Amino acid sequence: MMDVSRRRSLLMLTLIASVLASVLLFLYIKSSADQTLMYTESRDLIRQIKQQDSLWENEILKARVAISHNYDPLVSPLNAINQLWERFDAIESGFGRNHGAQWNQAHSDFLQAIKEKTRLVEQFKSHNALLRNSLAFLPTAEDDIQQQLANLPDFDKLQLQNITTDTYDLLLSALEYAQVTSAERAAEIDLGLNKLAVNAQRLPQEFQAPIRILSNHIALIGREQPVVNQLLESIEAIPVAERLDTITTLLDRDQQRAEKIDRQYHFYMLLFSVLLVLSLVVLAIRLIGSFSEINRVNAALQTANDVLEQRVEERTRELKNAQSELLDAARQAGMAEIATNVLHNVGNVLNSVNISADLIARKLRNSKTQGLGKAMQLINEHPDDLGVFLQDDAKGKLLPGYLNQLVGAIAQEQQEMTEELTQMSKSVDHIKDIVATQQSYAGASSMTEPLFIDELLEDALRMNAGALTRHHVTVVRDYGDVPQVMGDKHRLLLILVNLISNAKYAMSDLSNRPRTMTLAVKTVDDSFLQISVKDDGEGIAAENMTRIFAHGFTTRKEGHGFGLHSCALAAIEMNGHLSAHSDGPGKGALFTLQIPLITVTEHA
Amino acid sequence: MQSLSRLSKGLWRCVWALLLCLCAGSATAEPLNEPLKPLPTATRQSPERVALGRQLFHDPRLSVNNTLSCASCHQLDKNGADNRALSLGFDGLPVAVNTPTVFNASLNFRQFWDGRVETLEEQTDVVITSPHEMGSDWVTVVKRIGEDADYPRKFAAIYPDGVTKTNIQRALAAFERTLLTPGSRFDQYLLGDTAAISYEEKQGYQRFKEYGCIACHQGVNIGGNMFQKFGVFGDYVADRGQATKADQGRFNVTGDEADRSVFKVPSLRNVALTAPYFHDGSAATLERAVDIMFQYQLGRMPSAEDKSLIVLFLKTLSGQWEGKP
Repeated sequence: MMDVSRRRSLLMLTLIASVLASVLLFLYIKSSADQTLMYTESRDLIRQIKQQDSLWENEILKARVAISHNYDPLVSPLNAINQLWERFDAIESGFGRNHGAQWNQAHSDFLQAIKEKTRLVEQFKSHNALLRNSLAFLPTAEDDIQQQLANLPDFDKLQLQNITTDTYDLLLSALEYAQVTSAERAAEIDLGLNKLAVNAQRLPQEFQAPIRILSNHIALIGREQPVVNQLLESIEAIPVAERLDTITTLLDRDQQRAEKIDRQYHFYMLLFSVLLVLSLVVLAIRLIGSFSEINRVNAALQTANDVLEQRVEERTRELKNAQSELLDAARQAGMAEIATNVLHNVGNVLNSVNISADLIARKLRNSKTQGLGKAMQLINEHPDDLGVFLQDDAKGKLLPGYLNQLVGAIAQEQQEMTEELTQMSKSVDHIKDIVATQQSYAGASSMTEPLFIDELLEDALRMNAGALTRHHVTVVRDYGDVPQVMGDKHRLLLILVNLISNAKYAMSDLSNRPRTMTLAVKTVDDSFLQISVKDDGEGIAAENMTRIFAHGFTTRKEGHGFGLHSCALAAIEMNGHLSAHSDGPGKGALFTLQIPLITVTEHA
Repeated sequence: MQSLSRLSKGLWRCVWALLLCLCAGSATAEPLNEPLKPLPTATRQSPERVALGRQLFHDPRLSVNNTLSCASCHQLDKNGADNRALSLGFDGLPVAVNTPTVFNASLNFRQFWDGRVETLEEQTDVVITSPHEMGSDWVTVVKRIGEDADYPRKFAAIYPDGVTKTNIQRALAAFERTLLTPGSRFDQYLLGDTAAISYEEKQGYQRFKEYGCIACHQGVNIGGNMFQKFGVFGDYVADRGQATKADQGRFNVTGDEADRSVFKVPSLRNVALTAPYFHDGSAATLERAVDIMFQYQLGRMPSAEDKSLIVLFLKTLSGQWEGKP
């Protein structure tokens, strides 16, 4: 419950902070420095327009006093003004400030003024050009007349002088009029023109043209000079500069207003900044609180963890101790196992040795050599008449034949005993091997050698031959076509002897049917060699199936529970495995050994 | 002794002057400070716009019946105008005033004889929509140009909004701004090559200034920067007879009585090539035009010699376009 309320207040704070931040952003955008820049630029443009305007007026004055004959400078400032104004207008409308009645008024006033001034300047240009031209021409025109007058020989001197003076006066009046344009001077010019007209009537025909030209030009001056003056006055009266000043004032006022708003924005910005900072501080404090909470929980967790670890360690130590004890026990057990194993195997083979020795002893006891002694006794009883005895005596006559038969029998005996001795020495060799193997048990290095499996099986059978005969076990040999393989002869022999022995025992209680043991060899998938020993004896109970290879398991009262265990181990040591199968008690059992198939050729 | 030293001083001065002359001759000479100014170099224009403007300039689809292009009257291979007193409009009828040359038109302070408009862009508008000249309207023109296979792509490459009235005007004006005729012999003279014009031509220039032609014909375009009344000394139109509305000049624009018979002073560049002369094309030859100017504008009687000198001078004002006279 507390958590939810805390989370909610945190959310609220974050919300407030972001709202404040966006308000600040808005204010920042609103009060950007752009505006100040715009005002500066606009004012600068207006100032430049003003400059161009003065330049224009300057050029007008220059043209008026005929310093310059080029009217291009009277055009270019106007172009410049128009361009500057376009830029200014673009800036203004870019800011959407060309609304407002006052503003529009100022704009149109300026444009009106410029238009009017342009119109007047154009007129001034036209009229001034004419005026200047005529003024410049006046002295020449007057000279033309005076020269002609001077060349007029047959004329009244006094009258000529009057005409000359009148003409000269007229010229002066016109020039003075150009300087000081007054009604008085205008009247003088009119008077002069009239006089000239009167004089012209007195002069010869060739004077008419120059006098007319002079009159025309003076009349033009009289006409154009007031016009030009008037135009100049009007141009001066055009309040372009004032209009510009008005715009500048408006700009200033607007800027001041904008700055005032700006200051307000700044104040708000400051205010909101402070609020934002405050909310951030609160947030930070909250976060720090949360952090310390987290730290506290973390520390508690850490402690719990430490305790747990300690306990785990203790348990581990205990387990280790237990394990080493177990190891010791296992080692002892292992040693016992080895000993048992050796003894068991040796016992198994000794059985064979014992049987062989028994057999030899029996053979020797019943040996036909005793018959040889009896024959020799007969011969010794007749030391002197041996020949007669052999020829005549009934017994003597039979003796050579008997001896002959004896020789055959003895030879037969010897043959059998030799065989039995060979078997026995083999068993003894096996015992030697068992001991040797057991001595190097730890290494468990397998000694592989080329083997014919059927021979090996025969050896195993032979080792158990006595027992099998005694128990009347029929051996069925189901040998497949198996090549010579590389194998650990000793381990295989050990397993086979054990399995055969087991099968024999399994069938010992069988009385109702013949005891049959089947030995089979075959290859599986060209990769395994499979040897199976099958009996039809007591079988294995299902509950024993899992324990059958365990150490110490046995069903016989004199058994150790070691045979199958060591067999399974040996199979594993050969990278193979030993498995058992039984359909149940009384249904016999099948033991199968599988080891990797390594043919001799392959090995080579 | 003293005279000797003065002599040697004089000699040195001569040597110095000679040296200075040589220097001035070999180095780039200073431009002369005259009321007439040499032609400025054309303002830089984007070549694509100029090419587009050139194509439009020669395109008869600007006129209502596809008969006239700008170049029909402003013949660029001639003098930027035609030789008629009054060119023929789309309907085969003569237009109101003589066609002024398009060459150097961008240097005129206003366009048209009566200075109706200030810019070349506005000028194209008036000509295309004039019922006597091209007789078309912008909807038609924009439609025709916009339906062309080639134009829309070219327009779009230059102007984001493609084929519009404004853009057609801009392209035409851009091309027209390149139509300057630099290299006239008089310009070479103004630029400091004092040998570019002959002694007689220099005298002609002197007369041109003395008689006051210069009062109106001055500046870079030798005219074209002011208005003036046609007929200061005497009424030219009345003397000619058959007054038309066009003869009222700027009055038609302003309605101001003072502007009656007031026209834009035309440029004298290429004047020897642009006969006939005046707004009504009433002067067939340059000599005749000079006569009329003396009589009605200057109110003076020049000697035959002075007049021919002035005509000689005027012939030095012919420049070149695309390397051709």
